[in-house]
Order: sequence, then C-alpha cells, then structure tokens
Amino acid sequence: METQTLTPRPSLFRRVFSTDHRTIARQYFFLSIFAVITGVCLSLLMRYHLVWPHEKVRWFEAIWSVRAEGGIMTEELYLSLMTLHGTIMVFFVLTLAPLNAFSNLVLPEQLGRREMAFPRLNMLSFWITLVSFLTLLASCVLDEGGPIAGWTAYPPLSAVGAVSGPGEGLGQTLWFVSIGIFCIGSLLAAMNIISTVIECRRPGMSLMQMPLTCWNWFVTSILSVLSFPVLLAAGLLILLDRLVGTSFFVPGDLLIAEQHNPHAGGSPLLWQHLFWFFGHPEVYIAILPGMGIVSHIISNFSRRAPFSYRACVWAPVAIAFLGMLVWGHHMFISGISPYSALTFSLVTMSIGAPSAVLVLNWLGTTFRAARLEFPTAMLFCLGFVSLFVTGGLTGLYLGQPEIDAYFHDTAFVVAHFHMIMGMAALFAVFAATFYWFPLMFGRMLNERLGKLHFYLTFIGAYALFLPMHFAGFAGNPRRYADFTNFDFLQAVMPLQHWITMTAFALGAVQLIFIWNLFSSIWRGAPATANPWSGSTLEWNPDGEISTLGPYSYSNSGSETN
Amino acid sequence: MPALTEPKVGGPPPITPLPPRRGGGNNGDDNGQGRRPSAEASGSMVRIAVYIGMCASTMTFAALASAMVVRRGLNPTDWHRLPVPPLLWINTLALILSSIVLDMAGRAFRAGDRPKFRKLWLAGTALGTWFLVGQAINWTFLAQNGFYLRQNPASAFFYVLTWAHAAHVIGAIGGLYYVTYRMMATPAIPMNRNVLEVSVIFWHFLDIMWLLLMAIFVFWA
Ligand code: HEM
Ligand SMILES: [Cu+2]
Repeated sequence: METQTLTPRPSLFRRVFSTDHRTIARQYFFLSIFAVITGVCLSLLMRYHLVWPHEKVRWFEAIWSVRAEGGIMTEELYLSLMTLHGTIMVFFVLTLAPLNAFSNLVLPEQLGRREMAFPRLNMLSFWITLVSFLTLLASCVLDEGGPIAGWTAYPPLSAVGAVSGPGEGLGQTLWFVSIGIFCIGSLLAAMNIISTVIECRRPGMSLMQMPLTCWNWFVTSILSVLSFPVLLAAGLLILLDRLVGTSFFVPGDLLIAEQHNPHAGGSPLLWQHLFWFFGHPEVYIAILPGMGIVSHIISNFSRRAPFSYRACVWAPVAIAFLGMLVWGHHMFISGISPYSALTFSLVTMSIGAPSAVLVLNWLGTTFRAARLEFPTAMLFCLGFVSLFVTGGLTGLYLGQPEIDAYFHDTAFVVAHFHMIMGMAALFAVFAATFYWFPLMFGRMLNERLGKLHFYLTFIGAYALFLPMHFAGFAGNPRRYADFTNFDFLQAVMPLQHWITMTAFALGAVQLIFIWNLFSSIWRGAPATANPWSGSTLEWNPDGEISTLGPYSYSNSGSETN
Repeated sequence: MPALTEPKVGGPPPITPLPPRRGGGNNGDDNGQGRRPSAEASGSMVRIAVYIGMCASTMTFAALASAMVVRRGLNPTDWHRLPVPPLLWINTLALILSSIVLDMAGRAFRAGDRPKFRKLWLAGTALGTWFLVGQAINWTFLAQNGFYLRQNPASAFFYVLTWAHAAHVIGAIGGLYYVTYRMMATPAIPMNRNVLEVSVIFWHFLDIMWLLLMAIFVFWA
C-alpha cells in the first residue's frame, strides 16, 4: 500500500511543508488531538470550579497569579476557560478532525485517484488553520486574560472593548481575528474537497458510485462554502465596531461598567442572525462527516451494502439543505416575532425526518447483515447511533418555542449539544481513527484497549450527560461560574457533584486511548493491506471500480473486494 | 444539483486504468512533470475552483447586504442616505468597459489573433486598474466631504461593501497582471489558458457584483 511513498526520503522541509494528502491528514489529525486534549483539560478545570468554587488550589495561583489569586479562580477566569473550551472544541476538534483530517486521508483513493485536486492549496489550508489556532492561544495568554464572551461571542458586550471585562480588549479582538483566519482556511479546504469530488474521480466512478464518506464530505464542504463566508462577514463588521467605533451591533445609551457607551443605533440581534446563519450549518459541518463515516464502517462490518444507499445519500443532502434554514431556533427568546419562531420551529422539526431515515438505515444495515463483526470501530459506530438518537430527540424539545422558553440557556441545552456534538461526533472520530489507523501509520491500534476504552467511554457519556438534562429541568442556568449560593439550586448540587466526578472519570478513561494511539504509532501490530476486508478503494487503490457500487460485499463473506 | 448526479461517463468500463501517481491534477501551472493528465481536465478543475470561490464571495456580499437591510430595518432613525458620488458612475463605466474588452481579448486569444489579444488585454487591464484607482480617489473624496465610516450606518455600509469589493478586485487584478506579465516578458512560452480564462470569468463576476452594489447604493441605501 505504501510502496510508492517509500522511495527516497524527502527533505525535512518537504516533509513538514508537505503537499502529500496523507501527511496533511496526519497534520490535521494531530492538531485536533492536541486541541482536544487542551479542551478536555479546560473542561475539567471548569467542572472543578463549578462544584468547589471556594476551594483553594495552589497550582491555579502558580498558573494564573492574578486571575486565581490565592488559588481561587475568578469568575472571569472561569468564563475565559469556557470560551476557549467551546471555541477549541467546535472549531479545532469537531470541524477539523471529521472533515479535514479524514477526508484528506482517504478521499482521493476512495475516488480512485492518488491526489487531491489542489495539493498546494491543501497545504496552505492546513497552515492557515494552524495560524488561526496559534492566534486563538495567543488571545488567552495575555496578562489581562482570555476573552470571556463564549464561543457565540454575543454583542453588545463582545463589541465594546475592554470596558466590558478583562480579556475583552485585545484578547477578544484576537479571538475574532483567529476565527476569521479559520474561516479562510476552511473555505480553501472546502474548495479543494468539492473540486476533488467533482473533477478528480477516476473515469467510471459516477457520483452514485462514490463511498458514502465522499458524499458526506462533499455535502459538508458545500455547507462550509455557504456558511463560513457569513461568519467572516460578521466578524469583519464586529471588528469594525470594536476597533473603529462603528455601530453595527451595539445599541445606544448603554451603561457599561458605569460608563456611558458612545455607540448608538446598532442591533445585537443582527449578530445573532449572522452568527447562527453560520452556527447551525456549522453544527452539521461537525456531524455530517460522522454520518458518512458511520454509514461506511457499519456497512463494512455488516458485510453488506447499506440498507439503502440512495437514502444514505439524500438524507444528508436534505439535512444540509434544511439545516441552512433553521438558524432562528437559537433565537426563540431573543424577541423574534412569534410567526417567524413558528416557521423556524416547523423547519427545525422537519430535520427529524431525514435524521430518522438515516438511523433506520444504519439499523437496517445491521439487521440484514450478512455477518456482523464487532471490532472497536464498529462499536464506536453503534455508540454513535445511540448517542445521535438521544441527542437528536432533545433537539426536538428545544425546537419548540414554548418549551425552549424554559430550556434556553439552561443545562438542558448543554446536555443536548454535548450528547450529539460532544459525544456522537467524537464517537465517529474514534471510529474513523480505529478504522483508518492502518492507512495513517501502517499499524493497527490495540483492539483490547480499544474495546475497553469504548465501553468505558460509552457508559461515561451517558453517566455524564444524561443527569445534566435533569439539572436543566431544575432550571440550572448555563454559563454561570458559580451557582452554589442559589437556594433553588441546592437540590441540584449533588447532581452537579456526580457530573464533575464522572467528568474526571471520563477524562481519565481517555488516557487509555491516548496511550493506545501513541504506543501503536510506533509499536502497534503491522497492518496488512486490507485489514478489515473493506470493499472500497482506499484499501485497494489499484482495484477496479465495481459496477455493483462501492459496498459490493458478496454474501459469502470471504471476499476482499 | 441534479446535473451533478449524472454519471460523467456513459457506463463504467469493466476495467479502469489507473492514472499515474499525482494524476489528480495540479495547481493550474504546468511544471512539466507529467502531473497533468490532460490540459482539459486541469482547466475545468481550475474553473470549478473559481466557481466555488465565487459562491463564497457571493455569500460574503449577501451577508453584508442583508446585514444592511436588517440594520436599517431594526433602526431606521439613524439612517442617513449617502448621495452617490459622481465619480462612482465613471468607475462603473470603466469597470463595465474593462469587462467587455477583456472578454473580447479572451475571444481573440482563442481565435489565435495574438496582436489583437495583446492590445485588448492591455486596454482591459488598464481600465480595471483605473477602476481601483478611481475607488481610492472616491474614498478620499467622501472623507473630505465629511462622510466617515463611523458617522452613520449608511456610510459605514458603503465603505464596508466597497472595501470588500475592492479587496476582491485587487486579487483579480493580480490575475490580470500575471497574464500581462507572461504576455510581455515571455511571449515565446505558450500562455496558460486556464489563468487567462478564470481571470476573465472572475472579472465578469466582480463586474456583476459591482452593478448589484450600485443598484443598492442608488435605489436603496
Ligand atoms: C433534530 C435535530 C436537532 C434539533 C431539532 C436541534 C435543535 C436545537 C435547538 C432548538 C437549539 C437551541 C436551544 C437553545 O439555545 O435554547 C439547539 C442548540 C444546539 N444544538 Fe441542536 N438540534 C438538533 C441537532 C443538533 C446537532 C446534530 C448538533 C451538532 C452536531 C447540534 C448542536 C447544537 C449546539 C452546539 C447547540 C447550542 C449552541 C449554543 O447555544 O451554544 N444540534 N439545538
Ligand atoms: Cu441549531
């Protein structure tokens, strides 16, 4: 499989600034591994603070001498950790890993080629993304502290500069700059994926013959092209508000920190529209590649074609299309007209239909399986299906304006999106890592450690996020640094302790994966060319394109392609 | 979308030959290492990339324009219309002319009429440059007459939209200059048709985008 690349070793420079799609895939992969480790550590700090806000921790003070004086986190520090956590997870983990890392790894081969359409552009996208990441980190190491406006960065407070709090000066500016750079990197990457799918298929590989992964990366990239520019435009406007003093998003007569604010006439709602016009498609950018990965892997280990290939193609297309039209469901209580709330609500609910089609398809594929196999990759896919259903169902609650009036900005929303995005999308990344690890490093991940990791993570995911829904029922607000002294939340505190405990346990369990990953890179069992007996071309790049479609597993179960 | 689902080739052949390594394409420039399966394939690839880029730009402008509509709708009281500066009409004319002339140049190139191509291309590039310079003059003119970015939302959006458009034009003019450079400095080497074609396509796109912006400025903002 690697014979072609084993010829003379290129210089270090060439290997770092590589145009080879698999190298770029590994670069994206390691960037998101680094990001996810950072993000998890941040979340554990947050969880600790939420239940023991007054406990002194000496090494907090060692890291943040001002913002954790005496070892007690300030509320601003908590908010800056929260902002960094959300931003890292949404952008640098859930956008990069499922979409950019794995599409670079296998997309060209799956289409019967060896290269992305624009290798140099590909390299450029990665390095731009890395610059964006470094900018984001830079925004948090300033003395004044990191930005505290959350990953949605709602104005007016995010648009008025340093008066609105520590970290809201240069830190928040850098945050917007980082996101702007990220938009450009993602746009270039999407451009590359779309061009590759449209123009670089091997003759004979019709669109309806592509593996489902390719379809989902294709659709996701179209979403990227339609939504990232809007975030870029919004970011541009808010930077002008911050730096030049225009009033796009800041209304007049604001009194901030006892100072009269000079802006006038802008509208914070405008930001919400622009942000969520990007933001909702963005959550589908995070999950659609996972859907493709899951369809692909479930088919492999059920040793049959997907229950309905066509449905698996058109359902994500429908989801993506509808997903462009539902941004208003994040604004139900922002004062939009009840009529538009109703419209957004109906469209939001209708996304349930194609989602259900997909779920039934996955189940149908396994029920009709020729022979079911359960390697770790398959387990993570089944885990994905479970978490996707759980997380999707709570979406249907939140999609109704009357119910959302209560749930908005409570822990219920946090539970919803962690179930579906934090957990389901991440399960797809785990599945893909186990499945394609041989193509990444020529070795296998350890299956026993993998299964242990899967079962503990699966239990941990439910143990952690299911109770969080109940905290939401009790009205537990979101984005508060400390709710220990609210009377009405005293009853929830034991639950919060449980959540923090499981969070630490779940975090510890991930060490199994990290250990498995790094030890297997160097010492894993060498992989054969097609370890899972897959039928698609990434396992057999010189193979023919089957006329029976990409998932032509013959039912005898002994074939390789 | 429906057109995309049609199979590219009538039916899948029983055995499909494997393209050479790196056969997937290139960045539009021919480095003579056999990376390009055929000039045709690569040309359409570059064109697709430019079309995708155009989609992204359209979304950016659409976002800015709808921000304008929403901002004005939510607070009409502080909206003071900006008179369309007279110079803008001259710039518009230059841009339309440049688009026409560059298109004629492209046709002349395809027809193999090198001298005509050179003349038209230079004229088109000059007109394009004029547009950009004219825009810069226009901004200083507005500032001298007291219309600033911060002053009122109408002028803020005027600056933002014209800047965003100018940023695109700078990129596109880079393409025009590149072709000019190749034409003047290395006339013996055959011109890369892709760069020429996509520069013209993108230029037309910016032309149309400008006309839409002008319509907003004249009739609405
Ligand atoms: C049938 C499917 C879904 C429905 C009906 C739905 C509905 C909703 C609604 C109404 C909200 C807003 C709640 C509020 O702020 O009060 C919300 C928030 C959210 N959803 Fe979903 N959702 C669905 C699927 C998804 C998926 C697939 C993802 C990601 C992979 C996702 C990620 C998020 C995130 C990140 C938020 C919170 C954003 C924030 O305020 O920070 N949702 N969802
Ligand atoms: Cu949403």
